[in-house]
Amino acid sequence: MERTLANFIRALRMADVRVSTSETLDAFRTAEITGWRDRTALKEALALTLPKTADEKDAYDACFEQFFRFDDFRSEAAEADSQQDESEQESSPQSGDGEPGAEGQAQGDGGGGQSSGSDVEELEELIQPGEMSEARSELGQMLMGGDASQLSLAIANAARETKLEEIKVFTQKGLFTRRIMEAMGLAELQQELEELGASNTLPEQRLNAELRRRRDGLREQIRDYVERQFLLHADARGDRLREEMLRKVKLSNVEVRNFRHLRMLVQKMAKQLATAHSRRRKVTKRGQLNVPKMLRRNMRHGGEMVELAWKSTKIDRPKVYAICDVSGSMTTYARFMLMLLYSLEEVLPNVRAFAFSSDLGEVTDLFRREDIDDAIAMTLKDFGGGSTDYGQAFEDFERLAGRDLDHRSTLIILGDARNNYGQAQTELLRGFRDRSKRVIWLNPEPEMAWGSGDSEMRRYQAHVHQANVCNSLVHLERVVSGLLRAVS
Amino acid sequence: MNEAAPRPDPAKLIASVDSVRAALQTERYICSSQIATAVYLAWHLGKPILVEGPPGVGKTELAKTTARMLDLPLIRLQCYEGLDEAKALYEWKYGKQLLYIQVLKEQLGEILQGAVGLKASVSRLHEFGDIFFSEEFLEPRPLLRALREEGGSVLLIDEVDKADQEFESLLLEMLSDFQVSIPEIGTIKAGAHKPLVFLTSNNTREISDALKRRCLHLYIPFPEAKLEQEIIRARVPDIPEELRRQLVAFVQELRELDLKKVPAISETIDWARTLMLLHSEALEADLIKDTLNVILKFQDDIETVEAELYSITGRALKRG
Ligand SMILES: Nc1ncnc2c1ncn2[C@@H]1O[C@H](COP(=O)(O)OP(=O)(O)OP(=O)(O)O)[C@@H](O)[C@H]1O
Ligand SMILES: [Mg+2]
Repeated sequence: MERTLANFIRALRMADVRVSTSETLDAFRTAEITGWRDRTALKEALALTLPKTADEKDAYDACFEQFFRFDDFRSEAAEADSQQDESEQESSPQSGDGEPGAEGQAQGDGGGGQSSGSDVEELEELIQPGEMSEARSELGQMLMGGDASQLSLAIANAARETKLEEIKVFTQKGLFTRRIMEAMGLAELQQELEELGASNTLPEQRLNAELRRRRDGLREQIRDYVERQFLLHADARGDRLREEMLRKVKLSNVEVRNFRHLRMLVQKMAKQLATAHSRRRKVTKRGQLNVPKMLRRNMRHGGEMVELAWKSTKIDRPKVYAICDVSGSMTTYARFMLMLLYSLEEVLPNVRAFAFSSDLGEVTDLFRREDIDDAIAMTLKDFGGGSTDYGQAFEDFERLAGRDLDHRSTLIILGDARNNYGQAQTELLRGFRDRSKRVIWLNPEPEMAWGSGDSEMRRYQAHVHQANVCNSLVHLERVVSGLLRAVS
Repeated sequence: MNEAAPRPDPAKLIASVDSVRAALQTERYICSSQIATAVYLAWHLGKPILVEGPPGVGKTELAKTTARMLDLPLIRLQCYEGLDEAKALYEWKYGKQLLYIQVLKEQLGEILQGAVGLKASVSRLHEFGDIFFSEEFLEPRPLLRALREEGGSVLLIDEVDKADQEFESLLLEMLSDFQVSIPEIGTIKAGAHKPLVFLTSNNTREISDALKRRCLHLYIPFPEAKLEQEIIRARVPDIPEELRRQLVAFVQELRELDLKKVPAISETIDWARTLMLLHSEALEADLIKDTLNVILKFQDDIETVEAELYSITGRALKRG
C-alpha cells in the first residue's frame, strides 16, 4: 500500500500539485491513521495533507478518482505513460508487440543504432511467426510473461537494491541502469541468449529474437525509471546541475513543477541560436559589394568610389511548417518544440504550426498571441482527445496548407507515428516531400520501438528526408540548429 | 461551581471522525465530514490546521467550538498589519523593571558595601542584572501562553493573512517544534500537551509555501443547502421548518449571483432571527424586500437583487 501511495503522490506531482517530502511523510501517517478500507475517508483525509490551494484541490480530486478507481495495480499502469489503452497486449509500451516478421531495426540518420542491430534484423527477417520455445532464465520468463505490474515491481525492488536513491549526477544514469538490469538477473539472461543464438531450431530462434527485443525494451523502461527517480530527488540540488539534466532528460519524464525551468532554458537556447545565426548572416552579407550599382551611384563623383553599395541579399524567406501530434504524452514535446520555434521569430519569422490528434487545425496565431500555456490548453481542447489519426491529419494538412508548400518550405512533423492501426496515407506524406525543400520527422520514441505495434514510423521514415529521435531539449536544439543552418 | 462536572475525555471525543462531528454538533457547530476530519487529523498528527474560505463560513467559529468541545482554554491571537514578536510572543515588563531599578538605586550603598574598587562593584552589580531578564519580568503573549498551558490549549491565530510576511517566519519556528527561544532565558518548549493550532485566512494574500507545508489545509466553502438548513436548525431552533427551507434556498440563490458580497452563514442566521421576530411563517417577495438589508451589506447589491426579486424568489421557492 505504501507503494501505491507513493505512486499516487507521483501522479499528483505530474498534475501540478506540489508535494514536499515532509508532506509525503504526513500522507503516510495520515493513511495509517485513517486506514485504507474507507475510500471516502481516505480521500477526505489526504485532501487535507497533500493539496494546499484551490487549484491543487481540484487536481487532487480528479487524480484520486482516477487513481483509486480499481485495485492497487491500476496505479502501475497509470505510471507507465502508455499511449495504447485499447490494446489487449499484455506488455508495456516499450516492449512493443508487433509481429516479428514486420520488425525492422535502426537505420537512417538518428544516431544510437546498435552495431548488433543488423544481425537481429536479419534474424527476424528470416523467421516467420510460429511456435516459440519457453524462456528458461528467471528474467527471461518474466519478460515473456509480459505482466507489466510485475515488471515494474521488479524494477523498483532492484532499484532499491542498487541504492538508486544515492544517484548523484546525471551521468550516472547509464551506470545505474546497468546495475538495475544486473540486479534483475541480466547475466543469466545473456547466458540464455547466447545459447539460443547457437541453436538452430526455429522455435529457439524465435525466442532469441523476441527476448532480445524485450530486453532492449526493458532497458529503455529502466532508463526512464532512473530518470524519473533522479528528478524526484533533484529539487534540493543546485540550479546548474538541474539545468544540465533538464537539457538531457526525456521531456515526458519532466514533472510539471519543473516546466518553469524548462521554459527558461528554452528561451536561453533560443537566444543563443538566434545570435549565433544572425551573426552568420551579417558576415555573409558584408562581403558582397554590388559593383554595377556602385558604378552607377558614383558617376556624379566623377568615377571616384565615394559611396559603397552592398549587394542586398534578396531574402529568400524560408518557411517552416510544424505539424504536432498533441495526443497523450506527445503534448509535452509539442509544447516545447513550439515554444522553441516561436522564440526564434527573429530568425524564423515564418513558422506555421498545426496540431492534431484526430483532426488537424492551424494554431499559428494562437501561439503567436496567447501565453504558451494557454495556447497549449486551447489547442488540446480543440484538437486533443480523440484517437490519433495520422492519415486524417495529413488529409487536413493537405487541404489547409498543401498548396503553400514549395521548394523553400521545411516541414517538421513531431509525432510518435502511432496510428491506432488506422490508414497511414503514406502517399500524402510522399507528396509533401516532393513539393518541399525538406521534410523532417521527429519521434520521441527510441528507434527500436519504431515500427513496433501500431507505430507506422518505419513506413513514414521512407518518405521523409530526415528522421530523428527527439525527446530532450538537447535533441531539439540539435535539430533546430540544423534547421537554421539549412534555411539561412 | 459544579466541581464534579466531568471533564470530557478527549481521547473518546476524538476517537473517530464521526465522534468529532457529533461532539461539534453538541456544541451547535454543524459541519461536513471534511471539517470533522480536519480536527480529527490535527489532533492525531499534532499538526496545525490552516483554514481558508470566504468570510463568514465558520472558520473562527470552528476553533472556538473545538476549544469548548475539548474543554481547553482558547488562546487567540488576532493578526493585523505590523503585528510583531512583542505582541505575539513575549515582551519584557518595562514598568516592573523600572520600578526594580528604582529600588535598587536606593539600596545601592548597602549592596556595594564592602566592595573594594570598581571591578568588585561591577561584578556585584552584575549579579542583579540577570534578574531583570528572568521569567519574573516576562510578559507572555498568546503564542508563548499557549506553549506554557500545562493541560494543553486551543491556539487560534486568526486572519494570519493580515499580518506581514515576516511574521510567518516566527510562526514557522514555533509551529514546527512547538518551541520558541528567548535569548535571555533559553528555549521554551510545550509540555506534554501541545496546543491544537488553528490558523485562519481570508486569502487577502497567499500564505507562504513553507507555512502551508507545515499545516493541514482545510478549505471551507459555503455550505450546501442541506447543511445550511441544519446550521439554522441548530442556531435558531424555533424557526418553522417551511420558512427555514425557503430562506436557505433563497440565500443559496443569491450566492450564485454576481454580487459584491454574497451572504455568509452568519447572515443567514441573522436573517432567520429577524424573520422570527417578525413572526413570519413563509417567505414572500415583500417580506424579502423589507429585510434584504440584513443579508446584503452593499446598496448596489440590494438594488441588483431587488430588480430581479421575483424571479429569484420564484427559483428559490421551487428549490426549497
Ligand atoms: N458550521 C456552523 N455551524 C453553526 N454556526 C456557524 C457555522 N459556521 C458559521 N456559523 C456561524 O457564522 C458565524 C460566522 O462565522 P465565523 O466568524 O467563524 O466566520 P469566519 O469564517 O471566521 O469569517 P471571517 O473570515 O469573516 O472571519 C459564527 O458566529 C456562527 O454563528
Ligand atoms: Mg473569522
